Amino acid sequence: MKLKNDFITAPSLSQRRARMGFLFAVPGLLFFIFFYLYPILETIRISFHRWGLLDQPRFIGLSNYQQLFADPEFINSVYVTLTYVFATCIPIWFVALGLALIFNESFRFRQGFLTIYYIPAVISLTVWSLIWFLMYNPTYGLTAYVTDALNMGNVRFLDAQLAMLAMVLLSVWKGTPVYMIIYLAGLRSIPGDYYEAAKVDGANKWQRFWHITLPQLRPVLLYVAVISIIEAFKVFTPMYIITRGGPGSATRVLPVFIFENGFQFLKMGYASAASVIFLLMLILLSAVQFRLLRSQADDE
Amino acid sequence: MFNITLQVAAHPDHGQRTRQVVSRAVLYLLLAVGAFIFSVPMLWMISASFMSTAELFSTETRFLPSSLRFDNYIEVFTSFNFARYLLNSIIVTGGIILLNLIFCPLVGYSLAKFRYPGRNLLFMFILATVMVPFTAIVIPLYLTVRSLGWINTYQAMIAPFAMSAFGIFLMRQFMHAIPDDYIDAARIDGASEIAIYLRIVLPISQPALVTLALITFIGSWDELLWPLIVTNSEALRTLPIGLTKFVEAYQTRWDLMMAGSVVAALPAVLVFLMMQNRFLAGMASLSGLK
Repeated sequence: MKLKNDFITAPSLSQRRARMGFLFAVPGLLFFIFFYLYPILETIRISFHRWGLLDQPRFIGLSNYQQLFADPEFINSVYVTLTYVFATCIPIWFVALGLALIFNESFRFRQGFLTIYYIPAVISLTVWSLIWFLMYNPTYGLTAYVTDALNMGNVRFLDAQLAMLAMVLLSVWKGTPVYMIIYLAGLRSIPGDYYEAAKVDGANKWQRFWHITLPQLRPVLLYVAVISIIEAFKVFTPMYIITRGGPGSATRVLPVFIFENGFQFLKMGYASAASVIFLLMLILLSAVQFRLLRSQADDE
Repeated sequence: MFNITLQVAAHPDHGQRTRQVVSRAVLYLLLAVGAFIFSVPMLWMISASFMSTAELFSTETRFLPSSLRFDNYIEVFTSFNFARYLLNSIIVTGGIILLNLIFCPLVGYSLAKFRYPGRNLLFMFILATVMVPFTAIVIPLYLTVRSLGWINTYQAMIAPFAMSAFGIFLMRQFMHAIPDDYIDAARIDGASEIAIYLRIVLPISQPALVTLALITFIGSWDELLWPLIVTNSEALRTLPIGLTKFVEAYQTRWDLMMAGSVVAALPAVLVFLMMQNRFLAGMASLSGLK
C-alpha cells in the first residue's frame, strides 16, 4: 500500500517514467488477457457443461472428462498425437543439426544451396499439403516414380498403415530448414577462438565437436527441442487437407479431434474438455523441458 | 598395392590433397541430393501448373509440360473467385502485419527499457502464451466473435493475431541492445517519452521492424483453421480456404489446383528471395541469438 501511496502523492521522475513504461505495455497486457487468459478460463468452464451450441449449456460436472477417458477415439487421438510429435521432431533435430554443421563451413555456392534448402519453410503448409497430396498419389504422384525406381512396387502412402508416415515425412521436410537456420545461428555465435585453442592443443574434429560445439550449442538445442515439440503439437493443416484424420482414425491428431467435435458435431463441452487435456499435456511437457533449460542455465 | 602405400607415405601432401578432393566431392554430392529433395516439390508444382489434366494423369512419366500453356491460370481466375481470395488474403494479412508493427514494438520497448513492478511477470506471461495451441482456445474465441456479431468479417480474421509473443520477443531483444545513452540524452533535452519512442527508438529499430513484418507475413498468409471457423461466405474466403474448398468441390481438377497453388505461393517466395538475409537473421534472432 505504501508503494501505491507514493505513486499518487510524490511521483518522482523515475516513478513517472516507470508509469509511462507500463502504459506502453498496457495494449499487450490487455491483448494477451483477452485472447489467451480469458479463453483458457472459458474453455475450462465450458468443459463442465453439456452444450450443443444451439441449446442452453447444462452443468454436468466432470462427466465430459469421464466420457473422454472412456472414449477409444480420444485415447487413440492422444496416442496418434504423441506418435506424430516425436516421429516428426526427433528426425528434424538430427537432420537440421547435420545440415547446419555443413552450412557452417565455407564452400562455393553455399548461399545458393541455403536458399534452395529454405524453400519448404517459406511456402505455406496449405500449399505443400495440396502438393504432397498429389505427390502421394500411388499412380501419378512423384512418390510413385521413386518407389517404382526402387522396385518397391505400388506403395499406397495414404493407406491406414502408411498415412502417419506420410504426414511425418511432409512435416520433417517442411520443418527441417527452419531449425537448420536456428542451429546455424547458434553455431555462428560460438567464438572462433575456442576452436583455435583446441587446435593448438591437438584436438581433432570429433573432439572439437564433442567438447566445444555441443556444450556451447546446448541452449540452442534445448530451445529447438521445446519449440519444435510445441509446434508439432499444433499440427492441423496436413491432416485437415490430406487425410481428414483418417483413414479410420490413423491420423486424427488432437487438433483435428477438437475441431471435429466442436465445429462439426457441435459438442462444445466435450471438445472443450479435450482442449483442457490437450493444454495440460503441452504445459506438462514444456515444464519438463523448461526445467531442463533452467538447470542448464544454473550450471553455467 | 605396396607401391601405392609407399607413394602415399613418401608424399604426405599428395594423400592429403586426394582426401580433400574426395571429401569435397562427397560434400557436393550430399548437397545436390538435399537440393533435389527440398526443391523438387516446388519445381513439380510449377511444371504441373502448365499441364492439362490429360498430361498430368497420363500413363507415361512426365516431368515437363509439353508446352507453356497458361490455360490453368486463366481458368483459375475466370471460372473461380480466385482474385477475390487473393484480395481477401492481402487484406487480412496486411491488417495483421500493420497491427503487429504498431503494437509489438510498443510492448517490446516497455519490456526492454523500463523498470516497473511486475515487468518480468508480464514478460513471462507473454512468453508463456507460445505454449498455448490455438486449437485449445478456439471454442471460446469463436463464441466471443459470434457474440460480437463478427462472423464473416475481416476484423474477426485479424483480431486474434494482432500481436504475437514472438513479435514482442523479437522487438524486445532488438531494443534491449539500443544503448541507454541515446534515450537518456533525449530525456535530458526534454523530449517526452512518446517523442523518444517515435523519433529515436522506432527509427533505430527499423531492421527489426522489417523482420517482424516478414515473419508475420509468412505466418499469417498460411492461416487456415481460424478463417475456416469464423467465415462461411464465399466473398470472405482467403487463399488457403479457397485452395482447400477447391479440392473438395473439384476433386479431379488437380491442374487448376496446381496453378492456384503457384499463385498462393508466389508472393511469399518473391518476398523471401528479395529479403533473404534479413529474413534468415530474423528467424535466428527469435531463438534469442543475435
